[in-house]
Amino acid sequence: MTDEGLLDAERRRFNRWALTPSLIILFLIAVVPALYLLAASFTPFQLTTPGSATDFSKPLRNYRLLPGDPRFVNSLFVQAKLSFWGVLFQVLFGMLLALLLNVQSRFVEFARTFFLIPMVLPPIVVAVIWKLIYTPDISPLYYAAGLLNVTLPSLTSSVDFALMSIIIADTWEWLPFTFLMVLAALQTIPDEFAEAARVDGANRLQIFYYITLPFIAPILLVSAMFRLIDSVKAFPLIFLLTGGGPGSVTEVTNYYAYLLAFDTNEIGYSSAVTVVMLLLVAAISLGLVWMGRYREVSA
Amino acid sequence: MSAPSSRQASRGRKVAIALVLIVLLLPFLWLLQMSFKSNDLILQFPPPLIFTPTLANYTSLWQSAFSASFVNSLLSASFSTAFALLFGVPAAYALSRWAGRGKRALSFAILVTRMAPPIAFTIPFFLFYRWIGLLDTVTGLVLIYTSFNLPLVIWMMQPFFATVPPSLEEAAPADGAATRTVLLKIVLPMVAPGIAAAAILCFLYAWNDFFFALILTRTSARTAPVAVVNFMNYEGWEWGKIAAGGSLVMAPVLIFSLAVRRYLVSGLTAGAVKG
Repeated sequence: MTDEGLLDAERRRFNRWALTPSLIILFLIAVVPALYLLAASFTPFQLTTPGSATDFSKPLRNYRLLPGDPRFVNSLFVQAKLSFWGVLFQVLFGMLLALLLNVQSRFVEFARTFFLIPMVLPPIVVAVIWKLIYTPDISPLYYAAGLLNVTLPSLTSSVDFALMSIIIADTWEWLPFTFLMVLAALQTIPDEFAEAARVDGANRLQIFYYITLPFIAPILLVSAMFRLIDSVKAFPLIFLLTGGGPGSVTEVTNYYAYLLAFDTNEIGYSSAVTVVMLLLVAAISLGLVWMGRYREVSA
Repeated sequence: MSAPSSRQASRGRKVAIALVLIVLLLPFLWLLQMSFKSNDLILQFPPPLIFTPTLANYTSLWQSAFSASFVNSLLSASFSTAFALLFGVPAAYALSRWAGRGKRALSFAILVTRMAPPIAFTIPFFLFYRWIGLLDTVTGLVLIYTSFNLPLVIWMMQPFFATVPPSLEEAAPADGAATRTVLLKIVLPMVAPGIAAAAILCFLYAWNDFFFALILTRTSARTAPVAVVNFMNYEGWEWGKIAAGGSLVMAPVLIFSLAVRRYLVSGLTAGAVKG
C-alpha cells in the first residue's frame, strides 16, 4: 500500500516535470501573442510615433475605420474568390485523382508518393516554379501557346487573369492534400458493396453516385474545411507572383495586413485587420470541431 | 473493369496514371532542368531535349552569400527540432498515460497554432524581438520554430506511446526504477520510428518557413527561402541561378520525404508540414 502511494507520488512528480515546460511554452505562443494583438488593435500604434503603442484613448478607432476602408473590404472579396475557386478545384481534382489511383498495384503505390511532391515542396519554391511558368521568355506554357497560335497575355500582371493565375498555382500545390484524404477514405469502402451493385446491374456512374459518394462525402467536406482555413494563409504565391497587384486585384486580407504592418508601419490598424481575420478563421475552425463531434455522435 | 475485382489496375489505367503524373510534375521538372542549363540555353526554344548539363549555376550560387543563408536554415531547423523533441516527447508520454487538465489546454494550443494565420503571431513576435534584440538572429528563429513544433511533437507522439502496452512499464517500477528511467530505457526505444518521423516533420516545418524568416530576419540570419527571393529582386533575372537556388532549397525536403514515406501520409493529412 505505501509502496503504491510512493509510486503514485513519483509518477505525479514525473508528470509535473514532463508537462510544465511544454505548457508554459504553449501558453506563451498561443495566448500571450493573441492578447497582445488584441491590445495593439485598440491603439493607433506606429513604430515611428513614440507613445502610440500605449495610447488607448480611442480604443475602437481602428475598428470604426474598417468598414469604410475600400482596400479592406476589397481584400475580403478577393479572399472569398480565391478560397472558393481554390477549394472547389482542389476537392474536385483531388477526388478525381484519388478515384483514378484507387487500385491495387505495385506500380500505382510507387507512383502515389510522387503525386505528393507539390505539397511537400517549400511554398516559396512552389512560387518560384510558377514564376518561371508565368514568365513569357522562359516559359514552356507560352511556347506551347505560341505553337498553337494563341497569344497569351502576361497572366500575373493582367487584371483579368492575375487572380486565376494564383488559383491555378494554389490548386497545383494543394491538390495532393485532398487526393490523399479522399484516397484514404476510398480504401475503407468494402469491395463487396460495389460487387453487389454490379451484380444488380448498376453501371459505373450509378456505383459512384449511390455507393462511393455517400462514403467519401464526409471526408470531402472535412478536407474542404481544412483547405478553406489554410487558404487564408496564402502568402508566398501572392508575394512572389503578383505582390497583391495589379492594383489590388490579388490583395487578400492576409497580404493587406502584412503590407500595413511591415510596409506602411500601421501596426495598430494592421492588428485590427488581423483580429477580424482571426475571428473569421476561428468561426470556420469551430465549425470543423463541431462537425467532428457531430460525426462521432452519429457514428 | 471486367476483371473479377474492381481494384485491379488495368493497363489503360496505368498509362493514364503515368500521363497525369508527368503533366502534374512538369512545372517541377522544368525548374529542375533549368538549374542545369546556361542562360543562353534557358532562352532557347524549342527546348533541346538533350543538352550537356552544367553545374555552373550551383557553383556560382554556392560562392555567393547564398551558402551562409543555407547554413542559417540548417542551424535553425536542426536546433528547433532538437528542442521541440526535448520538451515535447516527455510531455506526450505524460499526457498519453494521464488524463488531466493539461489535455484541454494542449488541444486548444494545437488548434490555435495550426489554424491561425502566421501574421497573427508575427506582429507580437516582431515587436517583442525588436525590444529584446532578437531580430535577425538565428536564436530568434530557433525560438519561434521550437514553439510551433512543440504542439506538433506532442500531438504526433501520443498515438505512438499509446501503442506501448502499460504492462511493460508496470513491471519495471516494481524493481524500483523511476518513471524517467522507464521512459528512457524501455519506452523510448519502442517508439523510435515515431520520434524519427516527428523529427523530420519538425525539420521540414522550420525549413519550409518563409513568412517568419522574411519578417524576423534581415541579412545576418537570413534563411535559404528568403535568400532565393532576395536574389530574384536584386541580382537581376539570372534564371539559371534562381532555378539552382530553388532546387537547393527543395533538395532536403525531397530526400527526407522519400525517406519517411510511411509516416509522411499521417503527418501531411494533419497539414503539419506547411504553416
